[in-house]
Amino acid sequence: MSPTPGAPAALPGGGSPPALLVRGLSKTYRDGFTAVSGLDLEIADGAFFGLLGPNGAGKTTLIGSVCNIVRPTAGTLTVFGHDHRSREARRLLGLAEQEINVDRFLSIRQILIYHAGYHGVGRRAAVRRADELLQLFRLDDKADVRAYELSGGMQRRLVLARALMHRPRLLILDEPTAGVDVELRSEIWRLVKGLNAGGTTVLLTTHYLEEAETLCDEIALLRGGRIVDRGSAASLRDRYAARDISEVYNRVITAEEVAS
Amino acid sequence: MSAAEAPVLPSYEEPFRAERSPFLWLLEREVLRFLNIWRYSVAGPVLSTALFVIVFGSALGRHVDTVDGVGYGKFIVPGLFAQAIVNVGFFNGTTSLFEARRDRYIHDLFASPLRWWEINAAMVGGGIARGVVVGAGVLAVALPLTHSGSVADPLVLVLGTLGVLLAAAQVGVIAGSLAKSLDHVYAMESLVVLPLGLLGGLFYSVRELPPTWDVLSRFDPVFWLVQVERIGFLGRGDVGAGWALLVVWTLAAGLSVWSAAIFAAGRLKP
Repeated sequence: MSPTPGAPAALPGGGSPPALLVRGLSKTYRDGFTAVSGLDLEIADGAFFGLLGPNGAGKTTLIGSVCNIVRPTAGTLTVFGHDHRSREARRLLGLAEQEINVDRFLSIRQILIYHAGYHGVGRRAAVRRADELLQLFRLDDKADVRAYELSGGMQRRLVLARALMHRPRLLILDEPTAGVDVELRSEIWRLVKGLNAGGTTVLLTTHYLEEAETLCDEIALLRGGRIVDRGSAASLRDRYAARDISEVYNRVITAEEVAS
Repeated sequence: MSAAEAPVLPSYEEPFRAERSPFLWLLEREVLRFLNIWRYSVAGPVLSTALFVIVFGSALGRHVDTVDGVGYGKFIVPGLFAQAIVNVGFFNGTTSLFEARRDRYIHDLFASPLRWWEINAAMVGGGIARGVVVGAGVLAVALPLTHSGSVADPLVLVLGTLGVLLAAAQVGVIAGSLAKSLDHVYAMESLVVLPLGLLGGLFYSVRELPPTWDVLSRFDPVFWLVQVERIGFLGRGDVGAGWALLVVWTLAAGLSVWSAAIFAAGRLKP
């Protein structure tokens, strides 16, 4: 039987393809700055994966490359076996960026509905899903206002709700709790953990190292556009004889940055 | 915020199938964008064009003899119609794309299954739609005021207007991709589009100008956009209908290629 058009190549053993597979990713910007150089990364289906590194380490370039916001100079990227540029891959990806990047001309309900539309969802389903998520994120009484009228915490919730509108299998969260209060942060983590328990793969970048240690099955440390180490929180602690991930981070990232 | 119920995840094995085309969603959003701000995007341009017709056509027109055998009020309507749709087409594309870049909302489009040419086409489509709405409004006001009703050459008018709408929307999208700040957006309109419009034979026939200016006017793209409308409405202009259509559509095609190249290359960074 021939494979279904658009389907990813079958894996030996019949397992699911990795949620994200990056091979030899490089990105040099037009000003000559190389943000990522020969980066390899594999994230298993269903994982909760943390990406840690200082500003300028290449996290945003990596995420931008996966999500077709940045065009890589070299390398291949697949999402559940599909080339990341394909519509199949884009359909499976959900992105909540660090910045509040929403459409200023639409109400927040319309922002959610049109986002689902861009992913091919029909109108009725998009409206139903938008109303569900507005309620889930306690934004239903603000449904008809514009995003810039919301508080910072509400805007953060809106960006997260938008990323979930088309039910992505791989959810990428770039600093989702930057600048939010403790209560909202714990709410966001409770929600994301629930999604992960339901099968959604999560790729998270955060500067809150203790959160990465608690939440993530696996952590990668990124420095100078390369992954310098990766593993579970426990294995990283053992490897560096460290008390916690903060200490690992200080040894692998901060000390090396100072030395270089 | 309570914990999310486990969502029904999409299969990764199935090919992408849209219940409704993502392009149609984005085109609808582009139309909704200008309708949401209709006072500024539609009513303003219609009112200002109507005032031009009243001031220049009705008041000053009494002191001007006919131009090419046509009353002055009737003579300026095609040019004002062209100017109105050029202005709104340009400004729609510029602001829509510039603001999507500035707010980084365009990342949401890039990450979605929308293809680059669908994003390009929808943004241009929004400019065309706004041009159609404003153009219809201008004619609804201007034609009764100037007692004009007949169209001399419907085919030239339709083909020419489509070319003008496309060219204006494309140049707006190109400008929106190049602008680095809101200041650039407004400067492009006031320093480029407006002067080209006023020097493009909006209020006069270039044959009445000294020969040098007559020749120079032909290097002004708006001159050709005005001409094609004037020939369509009145059946007469400073150039032949074939030349006017050829130049307008060559311009529209060239701008479309340029605009497509920008989107295809992904050079739309905030």
